[in-house]
Amino acid sequence: MEANDNTPPVDAAYEKAQAQEWRHVLDATSDRRAAGINSDPTEVAAVSEPVLAGVGAGTVGGPSADLDAPPRRRQHIADPNDLALAIRGLRVAYGSAEILHGVDLDAPRGGVLALVGPSGCGKTTLLRSLNRLTELAPTAKIDGEVLLDGENTYGPKVDLNLLRRRVGMVFQQPNPFPMSIFDNVAFAIREQAQRRPTRGSLMPQVEHALERAGLWHEVKDDLNRSALSMSGGQQQRLCIARTLAADPEVLLMDEPCSALDPRSTARIEELIVQLAGSLTVVIVTHNLAQARRIADYAAFLLNGDLIEQGPAEQVFENPLEQSTRDFVAGIFG
Amino acid sequence: MPVRLSDRIGYYGAWFSGLFLTAVVFGIVAWLLVNGLRNVDWAFLTTNPAPGSVEIGVAGGIVAPLIGTLIITGMGTAIALPLGLMTAVFLGEHGKPKWLKQGTDTAIDLIFGVPSIVFALFGLAIFSSPSMVFLSSEVQTSGMATAKSFFCAALMMALIALPPIVRSTQAAISQVPNVQREAAYALGKTRFATVRKVVFPSIRPGIATGTILGMGRIAGDTAIVWILLGGAVLEPPQPGWYEPQNILDFLHGTGSTLTTYVYFASPAGEGNAEGKAYGAALVLFALVFIVNIVLGRLGQRKIGRQ
Repeated sequence: MEANDNTPPVDAAYEKAQAQEWRHVLDATSDRRAAGINSDPTEVAAVSEPVLAGVGAGTVGGPSADLDAPPRRRQHIADPNDLALAIRGLRVAYGSAEILHGVDLDAPRGGVLALVGPSGCGKTTLLRSLNRLTELAPTAKIDGEVLLDGENTYGPKVDLNLLRRRVGMVFQQPNPFPMSIFDNVAFAIREQAQRRPTRGSLMPQVEHALERAGLWHEVKDDLNRSALSMSGGQQQRLCIARTLAADPEVLLMDEPCSALDPRSTARIEELIVQLAGSLTVVIVTHNLAQARRIADYAAFLLNGDLIEQGPAEQVFENPLEQSTRDFVAGIFG
Repeated sequence: MPVRLSDRIGYYGAWFSGLFLTAVVFGIVAWLLVNGLRNVDWAFLTTNPAPGSVEIGVAGGIVAPLIGTLIITGMGTAIALPLGLMTAVFLGEHGKPKWLKQGTDTAIDLIFGVPSIVFALFGLAIFSSPSMVFLSSEVQTSGMATAKSFFCAALMMALIALPPIVRSTQAAISQVPNVQREAAYALGKTRFATVRKVVFPSIRPGIATGTILGMGRIAGDTAIVWILLGGAVLEPPQPGWYEPQNILDFLHGTGSTLTTYVYFASPAGEGNAEGKAYGAALVLFALVFIVNIVLGRLGQRKIGRQ
């Protein structure tokens, strides 16, 4: 990480929030150890559920604790042939350097598709091509098709701003705007409306988005607080709420947990699993354990080529290609 | 831990420079206060000048130059601020085509470096052409324009106020993290909406700083006032100049500002009333100081509670 642009200011409120998060982690762990059950239904149960799912007894902690968890079932996908996104022959180059050499990839509707691969393999470039953020770079050249509901998003008549609302994105670093919590969430809705909406008329949508992001109960009493005073994990969930407020069909996530502590990571993972089904998630992750926990589908990229894609358990447990096998076995990456 | 000699010299050198600067500035302020306050009272602030005489009762005060300074600063800033913000957004957010960015950059630096009297002279040449008569008034004998009015002066003042506004806004824009712009784009915002809603709220302190500096340049300029406003210290505005039917005539006519008054009243000028020069200088100083504090506060105001 080269810049500190985005780290939250170290002030009293932030430190307090951080301290609280850690206290919850400790409480949760000791509670479970003592009683074998979750004592605080709103906080602890929510955190532990996705991690515990399928694991039997409760070792909760970091992502590493769950390497042995069995892969998730493909519960989110109604029909694997119903594609929310279909990427066809996608080539992306920055200047003379080609990053993606013609990628074909399917994202079944309602599922969680994990893009895995070593650093520099083009995962993030692929992800950013799905909402056409790639082309913000002046030297980017993009070829091929990305079909959203069968419609080419690189077609001539595409409304870019509408596309980016239908395909929302959450970034690696939590990047809330320097405004209040309310204004952050209302940001996307405000200009969708024809006339300037009042705060009261926005409130139901803001509340709904914060609910979906699992943040409402933590912030409902102080929506005017600056978003920058929240902890990192809360900021990232706020960014998810902000994206959800535009009611996207597809949610792109670029390593959303890499800047977060284990507890916040667990909450975001739980959130992803909850959101899938009602929308399609495409997530880039470095963390194979995380991909195993949350993904329905997985795709493995290497040096700008798609090596393998398919149901997550197949890619992770029974890969067809030798390089995939080496990668998931941790031989390189 | 042993302290190196060079380290010590550097430390005391920096320390002494800070002390020296503070002492000089406070010395000037004290000098102004001592010599100026004696001459500043309500009558001084509310009567028109007649600086040929020494006694205030006879000579009057600075109301016309004071109003002139306020008006010219307000008009100049009103023109320069939107222009400066848009220029800064162009340089900081778009910057394309490249030749235009480089050209604009050079132009800003040039305006910063060239003395204002050069622009005043240029303004005189431009604004005195008969097609520019709508900015000032006509010279009956030649058909040329006088090129001396609040409009003419304000236009050139806006030019010299541009560089600080552009540069400090641009510096603030470059501090806005790119991830925030991307977040706005990813939410389907246009480039314009992103600048307006995401970039601008974060750069308000930078805009305020630039505006303060720009206003200071206008309020402190003398050359443009002499050449394009007339520096007409001895011709106070007609009574009732501020009434709606008269204000346009007033702005088309000549005027003076505190800076021209200070020069006029100083021993170097015709007025030769040193005490009143100090009084006017003190008022000018206080004015700029107040603007500094007010705009600084406005710029710092937080959005949402921290």
